[in-house]
Amino acid sequence: MGVYILKRVGSVIPILLLAILLLTAMIHLSPVDPAEAYLSAAHIQPTEEVLAQKRAEFGLDQSFLTQYVTTVVRLASFDFGTSYVSGKPVLDEVLLRLPATVQLALSSLLLAIFVSIPLGFLAGIRKNGFFDHLSRGIAFIGASIPSFWLGYLLIFFFSVQLDLLPVGGIGSPSHVILPAITLALPLIALYTRLLRTSVIETMREPYVLFARTRGIRETIILGKHVLRVAIPPMLTGLGMNLGKLLTGTIIVETVFSWPGFGRYFIEAIFDRDMPIIQGYVFLAALLFIGSSLLVDLLQLAIDPRIARKGGDRR
Amino acid sequence: MNVSRRKKSIIQAVSILSITTLLFGCSNPNEGADNKSDQDTLTLAWPRDIGEMNPHVYNPSQLFAQSMVYEPLVHYAEGGKLEPFLAKSWDISKDGKTYTFTLRDDVKFSDGSTFDATIVKKNFDAVLKNKALHSWLGFISKIDKTEAVDKQTFRMTLSEAYYPTIQELAVVRPVRFLGEAGFPKNGDTSKGVEQEVGTGPWVLDEYKADQYATFKINKNYWGPKPKVKKIKVDIIPDAESRVLAFEKGDIDLIFGEGAISVDAYNQLKETKSYKTTMSEPVATRLLIMNTKKKQLADERVRQALQYGFDKKTLVEGITSGLEAPADFILPPNLPYTSNLNVEKRDFDVKKAKSLLDEAGWKLPNGKKIREKDGQPLQIEMMYDAAELVQKAMAETLQSEWATIGVDLKIVGVELPDQVQRFKDNKFDINMYSNFGAPYDPHTFVNIIGTDGFGFKEAISAYPNKDQLLQEMKDVLKTTDETKRQKMYAEILPSLQDQGALVPISYLKKMAIYQNGVTNFKFAANRDESPFAQIGIK
Repeated sequence: MGVYILKRVGSVIPILLLAILLLTAMIHLSPVDPAEAYLSAAHIQPTEEVLAQKRAEFGLDQSFLTQYVTTVVRLASFDFGTSYVSGKPVLDEVLLRLPATVQLALSSLLLAIFVSIPLGFLAGIRKNGFFDHLSRGIAFIGASIPSFWLGYLLIFFFSVQLDLLPVGGIGSPSHVILPAITLALPLIALYTRLLRTSVIETMREPYVLFARTRGIRETIILGKHVLRVAIPPMLTGLGMNLGKLLTGTIIVETVFSWPGFGRYFIEAIFDRDMPIIQGYVFLAALLFIGSSLLVDLLQLAIDPRIARKGGDRR
Repeated sequence: MNVSRRKKSIIQAVSILSITTLLFGCSNPNEGADNKSDQDTLTLAWPRDIGEMNPHVYNPSQLFAQSMVYEPLVHYAEGGKLEPFLAKSWDISKDGKTYTFTLRDDVKFSDGSTFDATIVKKNFDAVLKNKALHSWLGFISKIDKTEAVDKQTFRMTLSEAYYPTIQELAVVRPVRFLGEAGFPKNGDTSKGVEQEVGTGPWVLDEYKADQYATFKINKNYWGPKPKVKKIKVDIIPDAESRVLAFEKGDIDLIFGEGAISVDAYNQLKETKSYKTTMSEPVATRLLIMNTKKKQLADERVRQALQYGFDKKTLVEGITSGLEAPADFILPPNLPYTSNLNVEKRDFDVKKAKSLLDEAGWKLPNGKKIREKDGQPLQIEMMYDAAELVQKAMAETLQSEWATIGVDLKIVGVELPDQVQRFKDNKFDINMYSNFGAPYDPHTFVNIIGTDGFGFKEAISAYPNKDQLLQEMKDVLKTTDETKRQKMYAEILPSLQDQGALVPISYLKKMAIYQNGVTNFKFAANRDESPFAQIGIK
């Protein structure tokens, strides 16, 4: 098992190196010179002299290989460089905005868990019942409405018409409700249906039938036998979507004026602020790789046979 | 499951749902109203964080916010008039190289320190430390010497005559004035300032990055005091969310170029619950035809394309009156741009077709696209994909020109790509808008005459291009006002008449505000804030 864990953790390194290679290539693949983009964004007519000065300042005058190696060394020591636009270290810019993004992502995750577990469970045990129809409706809406549109609808209804909640911004618990719902709805849609299927399948398992024939109370069967077995696959799915959740905040943060890092990332794209873009993409890659690793290790903890199977394959 | 068990499980589920709702809903429903302004505070929405309050830096600092705190020596007023401001008068030597400014003696910085020639020189010297960065502003690279002659007299000597100097002193950055306490020890303000000390009517009061900024009145302000006590800037990046916040009443004012969509603006205007206003033209939207391309090298083809679309219907249809059809390549409310004698080319399909025929582009029987030497008349137009007006205009031109036998391919690109391709001369037709006040007309002619901006190459088929380029260089050095007027009256019509620069519409700023807001008036300077005289009932 130890070897499997080591191998699994070790496999992260080449993936990260590849990610950094793509990040470095991004600058070269883009038809736009970041130095020029910086100057145009500042309403400065770029002269050759100032362009050369900016390129040297940004390290863009070096060869591709030098840029790649420098980036790897920098990122390995968590030095993300300096923003072209603000002139501040990327890490400072990230740390300033990341708490807001994490707050939003966690609120949405909690909301998704608190809503999808009871709803999915009830939909599963009462197939074609009220909760099943409700979950189907939510799944339909959650899967088909784009986040930004849902955001506008919620703002229009709850903020403008009913005057119950703020249009956007951050500060009080009421500010988090609408963005959290917007971000959580697609997750609720997905996990409710996942759990429902899982519950229905578990209910058909022989040990549930056996428990029934033994005369065990229905609530105990549902709680102890069905729910406990049906929830883990859903949690695995949640773990795998953690990265998606954080990157999904980009649109929601923009619509709800939420001062997080996703929104800042959009501005960085418009400004071609490469260090910010690289920093964000690298962190997102780390998060995706990390959460997938976490899920694998969790599954290993639940079912140690995975390590053996992995060993057999090798 | 028996009935009581079923009830119990439903009750459990409902309880969980209720707890969740409570958990997320434990708030004061009136909290959303905390933004609502009172009579002393004007709240406006802005798409980006105001950035650093430093008068000598660029992005991400927002021009309107910098102009609230820092002031210029010269003020750009309506019609391009240059009025005294922190300098009460100035004298220009006969050779056009020495500028002597007499400063006002009643100006104090917001911290109470005195504004005098020494601090003016210190600010100029801080800017000159990064000469290359600021060299886009013509006079900066020509500054030879700065002197504080006495307390109220500042002198600047240029290496050569450059008439737009006074006009360029009116721009928002980089030559505005920071107080002594704001300077870092090494005097290099490009890396940041110690304090935001300016002479402007406002001082930054509270600031939360990406959330909001509030400005209060500068108690030491030398000029007329603003009517509202505070300005709050709420950062709302999304245009639709800005509209929703305005409708809710959280926001008193939205203003700017393309601050909200045309549809949203007209919709809000039609409700008659709010006040709306448009500015004078701030810039012209232009089509730049690249005469280096074979199809567009012939002036008759360029003219045919101008006759081949209905400008009035195009502009009014797409912008719903938010922009006005343009007759000139620069708005006539800028200096030296009015009363120009240019040839008007109104919608005339017949003329367009005959010009194309004359140029050798014939329509073969049974075909829809004209051909010459077996080549179809295909032209590509690029536009900024993020700007809906540009996209709609490109699509309309595509269908209009199809009727005269021109195959227009339209390509939406991101703004930085558009700028890059323009500079690299990789385009047939580009959409562009000029800088506006207080930069034009001199900045416009300067970039047309300079290598690497796309224009010089675009007009390369003009027979008189050498003479034009020389005139564009000379006009900036002319010290004689009458001669200058005459030169612009030759340059601008010549650029326009030969058809590579086609005026489409005049861009305007929009403003929408709640009924309680009074005296809203746009500043003549495109980049300045309009808060000086605003009141709230």
